[in-house]
Amino acid sequence: MAVETITNKKVLMKGNYAIANAAVMSGCQCYFGYPITPQSEIGEFMSGKMQELGRGYVSAESELAAINMVMGACSTGVKAMTSSSSCAVSLMQEALSYACSDELPVVLVSVMRGGPGLGNIYPSQGDYIQSTRGGGNGDYRTLVLAPSTVQECFDLTQKAFYLAHKYKNPTILLADGLLGQMMEPLEFKEYPYPEVDNSSWCLTGAKGRDGRIIRSYAPLADNQCKFLDRLFAKYKLIEENETEWEEQNTKDADILLVSFGSTARNVRTAAKICREKGLKVGTLRPITLFPFPNKRLQELAQSVKKIISVEVNMGQMVDDIRLAVNGKVPVELINKGVGTPPSPEEIVSRIEELI
Amino acid sequence: MEKDFIIAGFGGQGVLLAGEVLANGFMLDNKQVTWYPSYGAEMRGGTVNCTVVCADEEVSAVQKSTADCIVVLNQASFDRFTSHVKKGGTIIVNSSLAKIEKLRNDINYVFAPITDLAQEKLGNIKMSNILALGIVSKVSKIISTQTLEKALENVIPAHRKHLIPKNIEALKLGYEYDLLPV
Repeated sequence: MAVETITNKKVLMKGNYAIANAAVMSGCQCYFGYPITPQSEIGEFMSGKMQELGRGYVSAESELAAINMVMGACSTGVKAMTSSSSCAVSLMQEALSYACSDELPVVLVSVMRGGPGLGNIYPSQGDYIQSTRGGGNGDYRTLVLAPSTVQECFDLTQKAFYLAHKYKNPTILLADGLLGQMMEPLEFKEYPYPEVDNSSWCLTGAKGRDGRIIRSYAPLADNQCKFLDRLFAKYKLIEENETEWEEQNTKDADILLVSFGSTARNVRTAAKICREKGLKVGTLRPITLFPFPNKRLQELAQSVKKIISVEVNMGQMVDDIRLAVNGKVPVELINKGVGTPPSPEEIVSRIEELI
Repeated sequence: MEKDFIIAGFGGQGVLLAGEVLANGFMLDNKQVTWYPSYGAEMRGGTVNCTVVCADEEVSAVQKSTADCIVVLNQASFDRFTSHVKKGGTIIVNSSLAKIEKLRNDINYVFAPITDLAQEKLGNIKMSNILALGIVSKVSKIISTQTLEKALENVIPAHRKHLIPKNIEALKLGYEYDLLPV
């Protein structure tokens, strides 16, 4: 049930509504979207709320149209977003490549479901690579934030708007069907970030100044090299400033469990059970998937004996962990193809098989 | 302490709403709580269920394969969920729409003609779900009907507020209904 009024007390809410409310409270001026399970509540809420607030809402004719509408709105400097799921986010990849090149603050909420292809509507983490690498052409990166609770769905949506504008770069909130559909107590918070001044680049009409063109086209090879160097200097800055993670009991850990999003909830419980059994287990949860906590993993690789990545896909983040630790410690995988995360008990028994 | 609840029935019986009221009640009691629905191809007449987990500390997992207390509002759900009750746990069965039958001897059975009661005493079978919560309150002893009354206020939208008194009546009826030992 959508909560229509904004109060300071806790409300029980679905992750999808938490995301939608956070977007509204972040000052999102335009929503463009096309419905798909398991994120349809976001568009449903926006269709009423945006109209009520006199903001923009378009039920687009396709996902391609929706993401291109977001690019158009973002080029005028306003906060704009779309939301979608897996197979439909695939359709947006071309636009994401353009938006990175155009340096537009696009916010995309991706609520993962089963794949590949049409897959199914159940929770999944199968779009880790789609989000962190992207399926568009050329060299580009998108910021990726991965909430683990309904409260984080809210908080990180606000952060996504801020980071997108701060770095003029598409930012993805990567949730999944479990987070989108589950309810949990949530506390609303006012947008905690400063407004980013975008007056130097956005298209607001050229009255009294020269016209501006936003485009991703550099006919001279040298210019494109310079542009890419500048773009990647920005990504380096993002890695230095914005890498975020959470860790528990890593100090004396022999085994480090790494997981993101909804899976991290069961992994924390599994780690607790392991500790009760006398196994020295710690956990690390990347909150930003790009930038990835490479440095912290390198540090922990000095002290732990084994790293285990727990994922609901066929093993995607595990590649990034292996790249980060570069052979320093063995990196194993505990996974499940699609659905709700493996139960804490199952994770524990599979850890016991691996050690 | 952590307790798991599953509520199951036909789509249209208010299974998800009952779970939402229960979860709101736990939130009002300052417990950690999660609610997770079976979602997807469900429709009116199909089967639907939701899992509510309440805990003093962090909820251990949102989705559970077994529960301490399971409410089944129809025969299909009774058939499916009997094996999902934890040993020593309780299954609350709507005997208006399910056969009175005890297939396990390591769990507690509570049979109540929930749909008939809602029809006869309240004049509205749509109140079955909330009536069932009254029984949950009495059987589980973990949440009071007073808290559930407050939870109803959280869940029922503004334009349906006139239905709250009738729902409170349903809660009380469920709570006070003499449980039939079978």
